[in-house]
Amino acid sequence: MSAKRLLRFATRLDELARLSAAIEELGEAEDWPLDLVFQINLVLEELVVNIVNHGHGGDPNHEIEIAFTSEADALTIELIDDGRAFNPLDDAPTPDLDSEIEDRPIGGLGVHLVRTVIDAMIYKRENDKNHLTMIKRRDG
Amino acid sequence: MEIKTERQNGTLIAKVEGRVDSANAREFENALSSAISDDDTYVIADFEGLSYISSSGLRVILLIAKTLRSRNAKFALCSLSGPIGEVFKISGFDKIISIYGSQAEALAG
Repeated sequence: MSAKRLLRFATRLDELARLSAAIEELGEAEDWPLDLVFQINLVLEELVVNIVNHGHGGDPNHEIEIAFTSEADALTIELIDDGRAFNPLDDAPTPDLDSEIEDRPIGGLGVHLVRTVIDAMIYKRENDKNHLTMIKRRDG
Repeated sequence: MEIKTERQNGTLIAKVEGRVDSANAREFENALSSAISDDDTYVIADFEGLSYISSSGLRVILLIAKTLRSRNAKFALCSLSGPIGEVFKISGFDKIISIYGSQAEALAG
């Protein structure tokens, strides 16, 4: 059994409320564990905020498309945007996780969180769009 | 997001409730910074009522941790839910900020 859901958001930070509401609703409808709802919310917030802040130089008039395919053992999320090319697998540096407080840089953790929480990621640039496919296993 | 504060013998306990995300992280930063006074020698952020935090909230926690460290005040977090504890671990913050299971343990530490 698999169910597919497609959502569209404008490239604006105030869309985050609608995004988290949609994830909660989907999680409830498909009986996700609460931890999974949290993790998917986190992953999509980090990626959407990156697209809003860096993908279009602040232009709010673009669209981000997010497709969810739910299966018994895994959730597949496809994220498509027409911002500048950005491959979260390669284009973000691994953050410094070991320095003392004084030396720890502020920021740069969002993509690291995504890469850690998600089980598998595939990126491609096609027709001037970023296509990111992510797989999250349901068993944590 | 809401912050409720109380003081016990020079320790500030800031109870953070609700969600901290990129949309309200600036508000969280202002609220937490202004809740802390220069006389506080120990600050505990109690996350029992916190349901969600993203990297934008971690940024604020690190800023506060740096400020408190620079004036030799102690800083700790307590009562993190499973997924929030995971976020702090993935970010390596568990190695630079004391994290306790409960407010009582944080007060004793």
